[in-house]
Amino acid sequence: METLSIYAPKLITNREYIASGHRACSGCGEVLAMRYVCKALGRNTIISNATGCMEIISTPLPQTAWEVPWIHTLFENASAVASGIECGLKALKRKHGYTKEVKVVAMGGDGATADIGLQSLSGAMERGHDFIYVCYDNEAYMNTGIQRSSETPFGASTTTAPAGKASMGQHTWKKNMAAIAAAHEIQYVATSCSSYPFDIMTKVEKAIKIKGPSYIHILSVCPTGWRCPSNSTIKMGRLAVETGIFPMYEIENGKYTLNIDLPKLRPVEDYLKLQGRFRHLDKDNTAEIQEKVLEEYNKVKRLAAGNKAK
Amino acid sequence: MKREDTIEIRWHGRGGQGAVTSAELTALSAIHENKFAQAFPSFGPERRGAPVLAFNRISAEHAIRVRSSVIKPDIVVVLDPGLVTLINVVDGLKPGGWLIVNSTRSIDDLQSEFSGDWKLAVVDASSIARELLRVNIVNTTMLGALIKTTGVIKIDSLKEQLEVKFGARAKANLEACRKAFDTTVISSITTGGQKKVRTFAVENLAKWSELPVGCVVTDVGNTKQFCTGDWKAQHPVWNDSKCIKCGICSLFCPEFCISQQKDGYFRANEFYCKGCGICAQECWTQSITMVEEA
Ligand SMILES: Cc1ncc(C[n+]2csc(CCOP(=O)(O)OP(=O)(O)O)c2C)c(N)n1
Ligand code: SF4
Ligand code: SF4
Ligand code: SF4
Repeated sequence: METLSIYAPKLITNREYIASGHRACSGCGEVLAMRYVCKALGRNTIISNATGCMEIISTPLPQTAWEVPWIHTLFENASAVASGIECGLKALKRKHGYTKEVKVVAMGGDGATADIGLQSLSGAMERGHDFIYVCYDNEAYMNTGIQRSSETPFGASTTTAPAGKASMGQHTWKKNMAAIAAAHEIQYVATSCSSYPFDIMTKVEKAIKIKGPSYIHILSVCPTGWRCPSNSTIKMGRLAVETGIFPMYEIENGKYTLNIDLPKLRPVEDYLKLQGRFRHLDKDNTAEIQEKVLEEYNKVKRLAAGNKAK
Repeated sequence: MKREDTIEIRWHGRGGQGAVTSAELTALSAIHENKFAQAFPSFGPERRGAPVLAFNRISAEHAIRVRSSVIKPDIVVVLDPGLVTLINVVDGLKPGGWLIVNSTRSIDDLQSEFSGDWKLAVVDASSIARELLRVNIVNTTMLGALIKTTGVIKIDSLKEQLEVKFGARAKANLEACRKAFDTTVISSITTGGQKKVRTFAVENLAKWSELPVGCVVTDVGNTKQFCTGDWKAQHPVWNDSKCIKCGICSLFCPEFCISQQKDGYFRANEFYCKGCGICAQECWTQSITMVEEA
């Protein structure tokens, strides 16, 4: 599929649902991910957006970059607001003969998703609302200046878990949000990355067809917070996938599929050494990360293989 | 209320250029001289490359209780030459105050841009920084111009702060500072250039009080009116002879500003391009080169 995306970008619609003139940093991968998500969603969409970079950069009042109905929410309640909108649409249909098929989508950063909004997301998934949740995971609270979140990777330096004499930065492993979403036994869970537009769009299209909750977790490269050059955004996302650090997979009704299954993974060092947030790591740290990455990657691989064998 | 003896400074720079560091070093130097001082940035939604503000308050006599941003500065320092025509940098500048600008333009030429009862100083800090620091980051260099024109802090107290902040690199920074001190050109008269009134993009926006209840914006996609093109330090240039018209550059542009022309080749809309360089990096036929802004 990825080869196709390289050869045929012209298959993607020219229509944008987010306008230029937005205020994201030069080279932002998160706004690219959001662009592809919206292209796949199309016009008949209502978006509930938790605060964070994407909310701030797209709506500097009195301006908005949005060309679909969009509502700003707090950190903790993007999914609750989405639930309300979905119920409202149902009521319109039942009582007022409204017929349009409108997809409700909640979105937020990794802080909004894995930390502060996790309860409302869990509630909405458990109640079975017909909505898509998209997490743009740039691996820290970037909007407020690079604070660690539960999605910040082991060893990364952030302003609240800085590397220095006494610490090597983040000392916990990245929270597995896809598994948490899947534990709600929803029909569709997927991971993707901002450097793979076709993969993102295919997954969003699948999610639209699901009646009920679905969850898409997109690793979104943030050159500002990862401390890498603004032109390296696409390369960095590819490296995350090619090193196995961020495997792209789907969980459909509990069944795993590994979308990009590389015969040989690149060493994690190829990815780590290009980013300022990992600059301080020594050989031992890198070896520890390498081991954990392989362990996690093989876990997904086994789950996907078990699924094939059935 | 602001006490009369307090000197207020407003710094104009771009995200990533270090205006905040300029303000911090100024405050630390003043504190070193047993004065009272504040330094703080202004946080907006804008990001790396976008115009940003930082502020100082300095008083030799009194602790400073005011915490709000500086509206009527005594001194305005502009780190980025491009900002002079982009933003109303002299907004609120007090009569008799100082406007200190980093620019390659002559003082007469710059003076013709403004009208107002204050003094102008110009230094080519970018060239100095490129020569002595090997980067176009002028936050420390401009401190030399500030010291020369206003004397709000002493160069010796700055020296110590630079050593604490930059360690081994303090020497080059101090040298850049000294060179700026020596080469800053100061207008002897207060400016009284053309009575030209510019309008700036922000002044055309609706005010918050003009928005409907619930802050509903019905003018969809109206960020399109906003120019992000002036954030860039470099821009893409296409060599069509190598281009195979694949559209990859357009797909990966985070400003969504590359489109196909009638002849089938691709071009960026300079009004939005932030100069990230992704298109040049991702074009597999290497048809795109990034060129520094003049
Ligand atoms: C309850 C609450 N705490 C803190 C904030 C301040 N705040 C706004 S956005 C943000 C960071 C968002 O981080 P994330 O969700 O990871 O998204 P990103 O900005 O990285 O895209 C913070 C801390 C807030 N708005 N509400
Ligand atoms: S901080 Fe990162 S995610 Fe936020 S706008 Fe900048 S590049 Fe994008
Ligand atoms: S990516 Fe390169 S080859 Fe492809 S359309 Fe753009 S300039 Fe042409
Ligand atoms: S440098 Fe290229 S990719 Fe980046 S904003 Fe400009 S046109 Fe778009």
